[in-house]
Amino acid sequence: MTVPTSDIDLFADEVLLDPYPYFAELRELGAVVHLPANDVYALTRYDVIRTALGDPETFSSRSIGFNPMVNEALQGTSLASDPPVHAQLRATLTENLSPRALRGLKTQIDAKAEALVGELVAQGSFDAIDALARAFPLEVVADLIGFTGHVRDNMLRWGQAAMQVIGPMNQRTAENFPIAGELYAWCAGVTAEDLAPGSVGRGIFDAEARGDIPPNTAGHIIHQYLGAGVDSTIAAIGNIVALFGRYPEQFDLVRKDRSLVPAAFAEVLRFWPPINTWGRYVAKDVEIDGATVPAGSQAAILLGAGNRDPRHYEDPDAFLVERNPVDHLTFGYGPHGCAGQGLARLEAHAVIEALAAQAQRLVLGEELRVPSNITRSIEKLPVLEVVPA
Amino acid sequence: MTVVLGGTGIDGRTVDSMRIVADRERCEGHGLCADTAPEVYELDDDAIVVLLHESIPPELERKAEAGARVCPVAALRVES
Repeated sequence: MTVPTSDIDLFADEVLLDPYPYFAELRELGAVVHLPANDVYALTRYDVIRTALGDPETFSSRSIGFNPMVNEALQGTSLASDPPVHAQLRATLTENLSPRALRGLKTQIDAKAEALVGELVAQGSFDAIDALARAFPLEVVADLIGFTGHVRDNMLRWGQAAMQVIGPMNQRTAENFPIAGELYAWCAGVTAEDLAPGSVGRGIFDAEARGDIPPNTAGHIIHQYLGAGVDSTIAAIGNIVALFGRYPEQFDLVRKDRSLVPAAFAEVLRFWPPINTWGRYVAKDVEIDGATVPAGSQAAILLGAGNRDPRHYEDPDAFLVERNPVDHLTFGYGPHGCAGQGLARLEAHAVIEALAAQAQRLVLGEELRVPSNITRSIEKLPVLEVVPA
Repeated sequence: MTVVLGGTGIDGRTVDSMRIVADRERCEGHGLCADTAPEVYELDDDAIVVLLHESIPPELERKAEAGARVCPVAALRVES
């Protein structure tokens, strides 16, 4: 059997803005679909995606990006490496980022969210993206890594650019390479003294000085924290506000039963993943659903399509906070499962708790979206009125 | 360190039905296994997974499997 083909372009503006109808079409065509527009084989269904993510021998991370320049630039990072080299790089990256390392931060992050949401509720109307979705993770990550001064001011644009350049070589990618380069250059030259004393960032340099991690890796780790941890979390927090505003009856369920907070976040991630498409290199011929994908080709893992697969989730296009889809694909899965998911959960749970405690209803204006290669996020989200709890 | 546990049949004999394999090196302490199946998994003081039963009682096999499935870094494996 040959692989079905579609003329959908995964990186066309209209697909990036609302990929789900296109994903549904691809999913019905086959578990794997060839897309000549992008020169990729797209994996579309839950089971094949999860299997691929758990099989790094077949689906290598040497080309997680969709242009050769970014894949070249990522060589030597945990993100772009395969077992067995990957294990050591991953351990170094997660040493300061695992839930174990972050245990002490929960109280502080909860307090920050409570205070920020409190201010916004008192204000009565605000832009949920600038004032909350961006402000909160930027503050958490800046404090965590110990960023000060001009770096703090650049975090948002550097973080956005680091994601954009993972796309194919289109105009967005070309425009963002110089900005991603600023981040790269800064991380290549950063020293312990540039980071606040007592911060996790300073701790990474201490670990390097002690010989606990290999020489010259501290800058790379900081780079990955910034490149991966900012834009995606911002998207997720914006999505929380947008979905709670759009589905007030679902927000009511969380307000009335706070034990639903983790389930609600899992559902936000399943329903609108910050990252819908991610790359893999097909290292050897692989048969999927009776069709062969040849070695040497590029795969596009459609995480957002797998999350809406009716073969796995009942009524997948409904947003239901009680669903608790803990096995969603948004953080990936397996050896490369999102290294920052523990921090993302801490931040998002804190925001949901604070909203559920302090707001009864969020009245939203029209959301504005701008197409972006990798991160799907809301650019502006006016909260016209907050009904306080 | 890898821990391998066997299942126990209804009559108490060890059967080779289901085994849970925990890769403690790979475990990062996300704790989703313990949230999903607290009867089977726990995190120790270093936030590393601990399997609570030497052999998993048959009535917990489904929960054990569900807990293994949600591990985001594939540190838990079910072998049948």
